[in-house]
Amino acid sequence: MVKKLTIALAGNANVGKSVIFNQLTGLHQHIGNWPGKTVEKAEGTLHFRGYEIDVIDLPGIYSLSTFSLEELISREYIALERPDLVINVVDASVLERNLFFTLQLIELGAPMVIALNQVDVAERKGIKVDHEKLSRLLGVPVVPTIAIRGLGIYRLLEVAVETIEKGEVRPRQILYGREVEERIEKLARLVAKVGFKYPARWTAIKLLEGDREVEEAIRKLDPTIISIKEKLAREIEEIHGHPCSTVITSERYEVANRIAEEVQQITPIAKPSLSQRLDALTSHRLLGYPIMVVTLLAIFYSIFAFGDYVSTVLSDFLYGFEPLFKSVLGEGLLEELIWGGIIEGLISGVTIALPYIVPFYFLLYMLEDSGYLSRIAFLMDVVMHKIGLHGKAFIPVMLAYGCNVPACLGCRIMETERERLLAGFVVTLIPCAATTVVILGLVGKFVGIEWALLLYVVDLAIVFALGRAAFKSLPGEPIGLLMEMHDYKLPHMKTVVNQTWFRLSEFIKIAFPFIVLSSLVIKSIELVGLLEPVSTFLSLVTVNWLGLRPEMGVSLVFGILRKELTLIMLATLLKTTDFGSVLTPVQMMVFALVTMLYIPCIATIAACVKEFGFKKAFFITVFEIAFAILAGGVAFRLLSLLNIP
Amino acid sequence: MEIPLSALKKGESGIITSILSASRRGRGGSWGFKKRLMDMGLTPGTEITVTKIAPFGGPIEICVRGSRLALGRGMAERILVRIKREWLRS
Repeated sequence: MVKKLTIALAGNANVGKSVIFNQLTGLHQHIGNWPGKTVEKAEGTLHFRGYEIDVIDLPGIYSLSTFSLEELISREYIALERPDLVINVVDASVLERNLFFTLQLIELGAPMVIALNQVDVAERKGIKVDHEKLSRLLGVPVVPTIAIRGLGIYRLLEVAVETIEKGEVRPRQILYGREVEERIEKLARLVAKVGFKYPARWTAIKLLEGDREVEEAIRKLDPTIISIKEKLAREIEEIHGHPCSTVITSERYEVANRIAEEVQQITPIAKPSLSQRLDALTSHRLLGYPIMVVTLLAIFYSIFAFGDYVSTVLSDFLYGFEPLFKSVLGEGLLEELIWGGIIEGLISGVTIALPYIVPFYFLLYMLEDSGYLSRIAFLMDVVMHKIGLHGKAFIPVMLAYGCNVPACLGCRIMETERERLLAGFVVTLIPCAATTVVILGLVGKFVGIEWALLLYVVDLAIVFALGRAAFKSLPGEPIGLLMEMHDYKLPHMKTVVNQTWFRLSEFIKIAFPFIVLSSLVIKSIELVGLLEPVSTFLSLVTVNWLGLRPEMGVSLVFGILRKELTLIMLATLLKTTDFGSVLTPVQMMVFALVTMLYIPCIATIAACVKEFGFKKAFFITVFEIAFAILAGGVAFRLLSLLNIP
Repeated sequence: MEIPLSALKKGESGIITSILSASRRGRGGSWGFKKRLMDMGLTPGTEITVTKIAPFGGPIEICVRGSRLALGRGMAERILVRIKREWLRS
């Protein structure tokens, strides 16, 4: 019989954890969510020496407090699900910060092995780490690795399995100062009596640190422990002159610092490395901005150029099956429904997902893995701050210009629910690639490129104003930027490709059912002959308030499916692609503005529901439709005053 | 002399003396704010060096415990430091 083992990978962000995960599990992995949470869970399996080993890649975190969902999930998993072993991935080039986390894992009582990763990067920075000494000091096996080149991975696996087989891992507990230690022990004895799900010593330390989650749980078991804890914490505060949680964190860092100093030898490197020079240039206070603009424009331009070409080729190819299909099923209602409803829905999904989304994700993860995204976040922090978000939120915003769906999912990088929702709202207002096609194809072509640009400027102003209004009306405090700046490095191709692949499959799972379903519904409405009545009904708004032609209302409805359908439908309904001959410039401008602002497409709504729940997604949708109609009407009246050529 | 971290110039170093609370709305927000900074190694007594300052009141980058951190200006204003003076001409 195959024996099963579970190993969890834990460590700080960007230490090469996912590279090790990919090296270990190869293609046998899947990424899902932790049950009931919007935090990613990557899981994979491998076979080694007769074992079937389940590997879980925990989120990259710096602490096991409850500041973020990721930290909470990680500590619950390690302490309650009890994997057979935790591999703590440690970045040898930033040893002290990483050891701070290692010490917390030890306190949590996790059986562990350390993968001392990026020893090559450390050496280039003049840092040599004595891994044997580190192992002796911590009482934990340490394996040096260079994951990106696959070095040390096999050894790591061997040591991991041997450690599990031996069954005995005794990491050395860290000691706090005597006055703190006495109180931890006193509290731990009390906790041990009530039988809490976490280890007693760890619980005692967390209580003194002021951890609210642990405090609530203990209060339910025995409220007297909490009052004793408060007394003890006050005593520590009096002795040290700092709050108790500060004292504990400081002392833990002090231990990390002492260990790091014991095991590392630093020889200063005189010449700045390529990575350092790149860093100085790309986050330079003046040059950083033009470099960022040029980089992003180049990326967007190449994605659009590539996507446009591939999309045309793909759609020509797929539509090539239409005659064959029709000859098999014959012309009729069924054929119309299946081809026009289901298959055209699928084709539209494929012609967007593959040509645009894939290169977008690929380049984005290249940028992320290399370290450039954090420089962009650094540069854009001041702008995002105005709408109550910090620099990291610029990343989903950037994504949104490609497609709103991944952007919505990308809001997960924000720390709290509040920031996620706020970022999600802003992101759905941003014109995606499909919207850009409409604006350029209608306004850019028939009114003038300067008017198309004006629309973008107006849209940016609106996004900014609405973002700010949302920020002011949401309860809670904004959170400032706090982010580790990693050195630049070459992206790991396999990890980037894996990420792209999983994002793509996530996109397909969320978006495709909705695209096909709504395509079917709209086709049915058309076939039943409801288009006329719908159009007449809509003309109350579209004609009377927005000054559009009645046909335009129907094409806006089609835009729910995919935004560029607004233009395609318009051509079908008006029976011409020379929009300039049938529409006035004002009508085209208003139409484009409404397309930019109203309802994110059905796939985006689905993504919103997944991330923020049905109620919030519904609210965002209704609000944006109402706002688009309002703004469109105002624009109609303002533009009518001007004389547009 | 205690000054906010945001007042340091590029290349200057200081020792953290304390962190001011973030909010006036009870200790909840404040605990999270302080704890987050501490967990990243910004504990009292720690030496930090300012390595970069973004323009227009943007974030600053500091070197702390051998790694670099980007820090929003608002947060930097609440971290008090004792500036380390040069005492020998280099």
